[in-house]
Amino acid sequence: MTKKQRKIPDPKPLFVERINKILTDKKDNQAYWEILKKTPVDSIRCNTLKISPENLIKKLNSLGWIISQPWEKNPEIMIIEGKKPTNHPKEIINEKDLAKLFPGEIGRTMEHLLGYYYVQELSSMLPIIALTPNEEDEVLDLCAAPGSKTTQAAAKMNNKGNIIANEISLERMRILASNLERCGVTNTVITRKEGRALCLNLETEKIKFDKIYVDAPCSGEGTLRSTPKTYLMWNIKTIKYLSKLQKQLFRQAFNQLKIGGEMIYSTCTHAPEENEEIVDAMLKEFENKIEIIKPELPINTREGMTEWEGKKYDERVKLAQRIYPQDNNTEGFFVSKFRRVKE
Amino acid sequence: MKYNPNSLIILSEKEKTRIINKLNSQFGITEIPGSLIKKGKEKIFLYTGNLGKEELLKLDKITFVEKAGVYLAKEEGENIRLSIEGSQILKDQMTKNVIELTEEQSQTWMMGHEVEIKSGLKGLVAMKYGQDMLGTGKASEEKITNFIPKSRRLKDKTILE
Repeated sequence: MTKKQRKIPDPKPLFVERINKILTDKKDNQAYWEILKKTPVDSIRCNTLKISPENLIKKLNSLGWIISQPWEKNPEIMIIEGKKPTNHPKEIINEKDLAKLFPGEIGRTMEHLLGYYYVQELSSMLPIIALTPNEEDEVLDLCAAPGSKTTQAAAKMNNKGNIIANEISLERMRILASNLERCGVTNTVITRKEGRALCLNLETEKIKFDKIYVDAPCSGEGTLRSTPKTYLMWNIKTIKYLSKLQKQLFRQAFNQLKIGGEMIYSTCTHAPEENEEIVDAMLKEFENKIEIIKPELPINTREGMTEWEGKKYDERVKLAQRIYPQDNNTEGFFVSKFRRVKE
Repeated sequence: MKYNPNSLIILSEKEKTRIINKLNSQFGITEIPGSLIKKGKEKIFLYTGNLGKEELLKLDKITFVEKAGVYLAKEEGENIRLSIEGSQILKDQMTKNVIELTEEQSQTWMMGHEVEIKSGLKGLVAMKYGQDMLGTGKASEEKITNFIPKSRRLKDKTILE
């Protein structure tokens, strides 16, 4: 039984400076940097299109896995606490005296191959919880790959209603298709188009949606625990570029929303330029056509920031929710919810 | 308009009945819950969303539809081979040509290997372990030939150890 220290790259000085400006409380700031050194918990979502949470737990228990369900109202969401130790020479014991899963083990089981569960980080499950798609809804998932949220939405909709799952990249679209396949998603149509162009095409045919989900391409600051290479890729220019793209994606998507329809805009980053700045700009642009709603989420969240680098944002931006890794032992995320109230 | 072989083809009720009849003679299946869609020559997809034929075709016209629904089955001459999802979706209707595997056989099967079973059956059979449907295979006198796609195969644990 061994215990290895995790090697992670040093964060770039500008990234450190920015995070220090966001997390000004010393203890909170320390907790943030500390948790980044730890790998995230192993979480999965039971694919209720194929199996019930009870039956999945029985199957996983028979593999020796110890499962917990962190959120009472969402029994499909599960954490793998570890597995019963087997004295395997390469086994690592965790703080709960359980053996850690081997790298890749979570995706190699028969249950995974049969589509009974989807490996998904807890915070990435929040947008669909906030969107609450139902069986009658017409849903647009604008940036859908790899399919974690599409499969989650399809399960909530019992494979009824309709989802258009769009992805610009061919390679990522193939991954999306393969995940939808494995999860037995039958209510979804896959398109491969640049998101803004797709919305314009839909506009010409007056195709509107009850629910739209924009999981915007982002700088990924929230994924540092699972993807430490993000430290190396982090770049302020990318943030500025993405911020422009995100505004355009939001704008085009919101135009496709029916009156009374709801939209989630989310990212897995902490950069205010990609989060509150987008929300602020869209509240200003759509004025009385848009309403921001506080999403109901089952974890500790913090309100959106109203000021960043000299820019003041609309006070309503507070209704957007920030998820920090140190608050719930998850990855970082940003979730905001809107309703179209007028044509 | 120019014919695009990759366009969606939504099967008519008559075509759907033809497919059901084939599946009925193979597995006893009497119903398919949704629309059947073809893309390309052989693969059949099941779509259960609320878009009708006209709406799907309109969507395909304005923004090329890569895929609709789940890969259900493949036509191979007179036979229809169900995918893993096809066998799972239709499992409650299957009354014949289903082979129950032992745990060991199910592992072998999911690794993509043929399984040596003298089932007395010939042609396409559905594979089952407990309540789990594991797709279809082709039975001959002494074995079942495997069709599990590479991406869905179990890794051989004896190699991983």
